[in-house]
Amino acid sequence: MNSRELVTRAIKGEHVDRVPWVPFTGCHAYALIGKPARLYCKSEEDIVAGLNESIKRYQPDGVPVAFDLQIEAEILGCELVWADENPPAVTGHPLANGHKLASLQIPRPDQGRLKPVLAAARALREQHPDIALYGLVTGPFTLGLHLLGTDIFMKMFEDPGGVHELLSFCRDVCMAVTGYYLEAGCDIIAVVDPMTSQIGPDQFAQFVTPHAAPVFEHIRKSGGLGSFFVCGHAQQNIEAMCDCRPDNVSIDENIPLDYVRDVCRERDISFGGNMQLTVVLLLGSEIDAQRNALSCLDVGGTEGYLLAPGCDLPYATPPANLEAVTRLVRDPYQRDVVRAMEEEDTGGTLLDMSQYGQADKVVVDIITLDSESCAPCQYMVESVRKVVPQFEGIVEWREHKIKERESLTLMASLMVKNIPTICIDGTITFVSRIPRKEELIAAIQKRIYEKLRMRIRTRRGELLVLGKTRDECRGVRPAIDQAMSELGIEVPVREIVGEREALAYGAVQTPAIVATAYRLKAQGENVQVAAVKEWLKEIA
Amino acid sequence: MSEILEQIATCVERGKINAASPYPPDMKGQEGADELTRKAIDGGTAPTDILEKALVVGMQKIGEKFAANKVFVPDVLMAAKSMNAAMAHLRPFFQSGEVKRKGVFCIGTVQGDLHDIGKNLVSMIVEGGGWEVVDLGVDVSTEKFIEAVEQHPGCAVGLSALLTTTMINMEKTVKALKEKTPGTKVLIGGAPLTQEFCTKIGADCYSADPQGAVEYLNKLAA
Repeated sequence: MNSRELVTRAIKGEHVDRVPWVPFTGCHAYALIGKPARLYCKSEEDIVAGLNESIKRYQPDGVPVAFDLQIEAEILGCELVWADENPPAVTGHPLANGHKLASLQIPRPDQGRLKPVLAAARALREQHPDIALYGLVTGPFTLGLHLLGTDIFMKMFEDPGGVHELLSFCRDVCMAVTGYYLEAGCDIIAVVDPMTSQIGPDQFAQFVTPHAAPVFEHIRKSGGLGSFFVCGHAQQNIEAMCDCRPDNVSIDENIPLDYVRDVCRERDISFGGNMQLTVVLLLGSEIDAQRNALSCLDVGGTEGYLLAPGCDLPYATPPANLEAVTRLVRDPYQRDVVRAMEEEDTGGTLLDMSQYGQADKVVVDIITLDSESCAPCQYMVESVRKVVPQFEGIVEWREHKIKERESLTLMASLMVKNIPTICIDGTITFVSRIPRKEELIAAIQKRIYEKLRMRIRTRRGELLVLGKTRDECRGVRPAIDQAMSELGIEVPVREIVGEREALAYGAVQTPAIVATAYRLKAQGENVQVAAVKEWLKEIA
Repeated sequence: MSEILEQIATCVERGKINAASPYPPDMKGQEGADELTRKAIDGGTAPTDILEKALVVGMQKIGEKFAANKVFVPDVLMAAKSMNAAMAHLRPFFQSGEVKRKGVFCIGTVQGDLHDIGKNLVSMIVEGGGWEVVDLGVDVSTEKFIEAVEQHPGCAVGLSALLTTTMINMEKTVKALKEKTPGTKVLIGGAPLTQEFCTKIGADCYSADPQGAVEYLNKLAA
């Protein structure tokens, strides 16, 4: 099943094996090709180039041709102000500036920015027959607000007949533009009506439903699929939106996804959303983005759900965050990794890694999901396993499966973010990439040389095991041996036998262990009394 | 509370502007906030009482209903319109100093952002809460916010943003305000914002609705 079929099936509420991913790269696409809005939004070539870049990077199942709610408004005489990193904003409303509704004409497809956008839709349709295309039209209420300004809110009470007349015109605009997009090859028409978040369900039923419902009916009759987009705090209107009979409802993070799922499913309407735009996708990390996507996927399920950001992606969204979502969507193994990492909140339980990697031996840690069940992990472990014997005992390696709690803590402490990863003496060295044999040998060899250079010029210290009898001392040896082996550290272990001898070290009970550390304090210089005093204070 | 103050409060809450106003239908033909406020002043009611016991009460009620999702933007705008009709009669007393307000609140939409519905709502409800509101408009630069604080020492500042791109500008403005005018309390609001973001950028208060802003400001004034 190709992406286009996947999106179509999900919108129709049918079961899919993989949830479709529809990143709304409207103004983010300007950033992808480094063009300011005022050029991008008016150019067929730029729109096609921007979306091609988005398609290349994010492997979406569907994309909106444009995410710009001012296209119809501009043609109808609204004044716009342009910014570089956002679609233009409406600043002047013709019906508030003396124009009459009767003087406004339904926009034609060759007018204003409809022309380049529709041309871009046709080009993209041809270039990407397997990807679903969304045509976005401004919803009747939002268009009405563009035309009249915020007076529309008060006119709902003071002149309801006039508001209906205005919204009827907006409905006709919506239907006409819908037809243009479908003709240009779009599969889904998104009726985007964010300003409805400002009104209540009764006002919605009174003013929006009579004008939005015919738009969805029109889309259906024309052979397309209709999605009702809203953003902002619009939870109160989800049921009213469903009453307009769209095929799909798409929402942002202001509305709980499970609430929308339940309302929509009851009415056989599919739904989409609602990845967090700013805190996660714009300002968060790759892992934040993956966690957020995973939680949406878990709530949405594989029937009638599309994974999408809550609204148009911010211009400066780091591409790496969206690419991370793409990997998660397309690769079940990535989902397992994120899920395993989610189970452990390592906050506050990080290990002290300041001394990690200071042992005599070089330690190679491989952080995996599980080399028995994950192919990339298996290859990475194999590569290390084959190389280590060549170092004849001075290199130790360990696999840490993050399905285990301790391994997760180590992973977080080493600041490892990707699976699988190889760390050499605690330093992240190979990330999600199986090193060639020579590469791995060179990396380990480099570390050995480093250690040689830094080798401490004195004995480190020793462990004293105190016991009443030799057997008692030997009883604690296995634990010490295991610790030294796991850390790759070897220090002399001395057994002190006898109660009195133990007492001399302050041990009233046995077995006891005393660790000594030798620190080189001075060499090749005249020793100052003051300095010696300080050293004495340390050990007194 | 005297009967006329109660009536004014009800007019404000229900958005009954004047006798000619057709809304709300069940109050058609009755006097609105405009006529009743004039009558109260002429009848000797203290203007301070009209502000505190009628306008503030009416706006508080509508603000609370808005916060509870019981009413929506159109209802609040109607309430604010009727409050303004009453406020017009009180203006001379503000100027003479006979009626004092709780403090000054300077508000604007941050640089690069031209959206003003949210900012206007907050302005109206904060004004209705007994504060003097200085509306700096939209696309307000950090320098303009600082200038406003210098002109109104001790004022609180409200920053509004609707866009995910411009909310980032808030951080710059908050930092500059905290640096140049230490002690200034900064409130932020707008659709894409969260408490998490507020904490991150070092603002003092985030509220999802205007009433939350009024409550925070009132605590400052107390």
